[in-house]
Amino acid sequence: MRAYSASSEEALRARDLLKDWVREGFLTEAQYQGVEPETVVDLRRTNIFLRLVLFLFTLIIVGAAVGLFFVVLSPSATQTTGILLLIFAAGSYAAAELAVSQARLYRYGIEEALAACAVGFLCAGMQAAFFSGQAYQPVYAPLAAMIFVLFLPDSWTSSHSVHHLIVAAFYAVGLFLVAALRSRHRFTYLNDRYSIAEALLWLGIYLVINLQVVINLQLLPVNLFGPVSRVATAEFSRPFYWTTWVLTWCLPPLIITRGLRQKDRFVIAVGAIVSILTLITNKPYLGWQRHTWDPMLLGALLIGVVLFLRRWLAAGPGEVRRGFTARRLSGKDHTWMSAAAVALVSPNIVKPIPQTSSPDVRFGGGKSGGGGATSDF
Amino acid sequence: MTIFTRLAQWEERGILSPEQHTLLADLSRGEPFSLFFELNILLYLGILAFVAGLGWTVTTWSQQLGDVLVLAVLSTLLAACFWYCFSRAPAWSPAETASPSLVFDYVLYFASLTWVVELAYVETRLQILSGQWDLYLLTTAGLFFFLAYRFDNRLVLSLALSSLAGWFGLTISHWPSHQDEAYRYYAILYSLVVIGAGALLQHRGLKPHFFGTYLNIAANVLFWALLSGVFNHEGYLVWLLGLIAACGASLAWGLARRQFAFVAYAAVYGYIGISSILIRDMNSGTAILSYFLFTGVGMLIMLVQIARRFGREA
Repeated sequence: MRAYSASSEEALRARDLLKDWVREGFLTEAQYQGVEPETVVDLRRTNIFLRLVLFLFTLIIVGAAVGLFFVVLSPSATQTTGILLLIFAAGSYAAAELAVSQARLYRYGIEEALAACAVGFLCAGMQAAFFSGQAYQPVYAPLAAMIFVLFLPDSWTSSHSVHHLIVAAFYAVGLFLVAALRSRHRFTYLNDRYSIAEALLWLGIYLVINLQVVINLQLLPVNLFGPVSRVATAEFSRPFYWTTWVLTWCLPPLIITRGLRQKDRFVIAVGAIVSILTLITNKPYLGWQRHTWDPMLLGALLIGVVLFLRRWLAAGPGEVRRGFTARRLSGKDHTWMSAAAVALVSPNIVKPIPQTSSPDVRFGGGKSGGGGATSDF
Repeated sequence: MTIFTRLAQWEERGILSPEQHTLLADLSRGEPFSLFFELNILLYLGILAFVAGLGWTVTTWSQQLGDVLVLAVLSTLLAACFWYCFSRAPAWSPAETASPSLVFDYVLYFASLTWVVELAYVETRLQILSGQWDLYLLTTAGLFFFLAYRFDNRLVLSLALSSLAGWFGLTISHWPSHQDEAYRYYAILYSLVVIGAGALLQHRGLKPHFFGTYLNIAANVLFWALLSGVFNHEGYLVWLLGLIAACGASLAWGLARRQFAFVAYAAVYGYIGISSILIRDMNSGTAILSYFLFTGVGMLIMLVQIARRFGREA
C-alpha cells in the first residue's frame, strides 16, 4: 500500500525530467508547453525553502504539543512515558496520513515533519520502529529500522565483537532484500527510494565494521552510536580487529563498483565517503603516527583522482566512456552546486561549464549544455 | 505510465523527433551518466584537505624548514596558480562568463587559500605590519574582489565578503569599550554597504549575477545583528522595530522576486526575535509550550498560504 498512486509518482517524475530537459536545452519551450499538461497531478508541492521552513514549524508545533502534554500530566513511570510516546507516534503518523490523503501534500515539509516525528517517537518510546512500508517518506523507514537494529543485540550479548557482527548481519540482510527488490524497479520512480535505502545500508555496514570510526565517534558530544560505540580497541579480539581492518579496505571498492554498475548516485557518494574514511582511519587502525602532511597527501590523491577521471572520460568518443561523462547533463547538478555555493562549498555553481566542444557529440549545441532543441535535432 | 511510455507517445504524436526520443530515453536510463557533481565535490574536498595539510605542516615545521624555504614553496604555488588562471582565462566581460574548464575555478580557489596561508605565515613569523591584521584582511578582501570579478568566481567573492566582514570586526575590536554595541552597528553598516555596493554594481551591469551572493550574505549578517540587539534586556524596542522592518523587506523582496530563501529568512529570524521578547518573562513551562504551540500553528497557516499563493512547484 502506498500513500501516492504510481501514476501520480510517475507523472511527477516525468514533470521533473521535462523541466530539467527544457532547462538544459534538450527540449524547446514550445515542446515543453505541449506535453506539460499531461503531467499535471493533484498533489501539492512547494519549493525547497518553504518546504524547510514548513518542516521546522511543524516540528515546533509537534514538539510543543507533546511537551505540553507531558508538563501537564507529568507521568512518573517510564513505562507510561513509553506508551504515551507510542500514542504520539500513532497520532503523528495519522496526521501525516491525513496530510497526504486529504490535503494531497507531497514533499511539502509538513507531512515529512509529521512522519519524522512518528519515527522519532517510536524510537524513543520503545526503541523500535517497525514503521509500516508507507512510501511517502521512505528515508525515515530504513533509518528508523537501522537505529532500531543498533539496539537489538543489547539484550542478546555482552560481547562488543558479537554486537558489531549482529548489527552488520542485519544490515547485510536488509541490503540483500533491498537489492533484490529494486531490480524490479530499475527505471521507475521507485528506484530512487531503494537507492537511498541501499546507500544507507552500505554506510551502516561500513560504520559498524570500521572500529576506528566507532571509537572516534565516542569523542563527539552526542553519542551517535548508542551502546555500540562505548568501547575501546582493546575490547576487541585481535582476529576480529584485523578482519575489520581488511574489510574497511574491501568495502569501498565494492560499494563504488556497485554504485557505478547501477549508476546509482547515492551509492557512489557513499562509496566515495567510505573510501575517504578508510584513508583517514588507516593510520589509527595500524597504530601509526599521524603526520602534518597527511591531509596534503589525501588532498593530492583526491585531486589526482579527479583530474585523471576527468581526462579519461573526456578522451572518450563524445566525452563518454562506458556510459559515463564528466559533463553536466542535468539542471539538478546546477541546482545542487548553487545550494552548495551559498554554504561556501563549491565555486563552480554559478557559471555553466562549457558543455561540449566535440562536433560528434549527439547532445551538443543548445544554450547551456545541450541539445537538440535548436540545432542538432 | 512510465517516462518511456510517455516519450514513445510523444514521438508518435510528432511532438518529439526520433533523435530527441532516443536521447531523452537514454538520459532517463542514465546513458550517459554524468559524474559532474561528484567530481566537483571531490576536487573541492581535495583542495580543502591539501590546504589544511599545507597550513598545518607550515605552522608545525617552520623552524626546521626555515622561512626562506617555506615562503619559496608557498610563493611558487601561488605564482603557478595565478599564471595558470591568467593564461587560461577568457577575455574579461562584465556579463556572466563560462569557466574554461572544470579545474579552473578550483585552481583559483586554491590560489586564494594559499594566499591566506602565506599571508598568515609572513605576519606570524616576520611581523611586517606589527600584528595589524585588519590591514591584511582589507588587502585580502581587495585582492579577492579583484579575482572574483576578473575570473567570475562566486566562491572567491564569498571569501572577499567574509574578509571584508573580518576587517570590520577586527577594526572595532581595537576600540576600548562598548564593543557589543559597536559590533552591532558595524555589522549593520557592513550589511548596508554590501547591499548598496551589490545593487550599484548590478545596476552598472558589472557581473549582475553576483548580486544574489551579496544579498544573501548581507541579509544574514543584518538579521544576526538585529537579533543580537533584540536579545538585549534594555533598549531592545528599536532593534525589534528594525528586525520587523528587515523581515518585511525580506518578505517583500522574496515574494516579488520569487527568491524564497528571503521568505524563509523573514519567517525564521522574525519568529526567533519576536518570540525571544514575548517569552523572556514567562516562567511557566506550560505557558512557554502553549506559546510555541499556538504561534507555531499561526506561522504554519501563514506559510501554507504563502506557499499556496506564491511558492507552488508542480
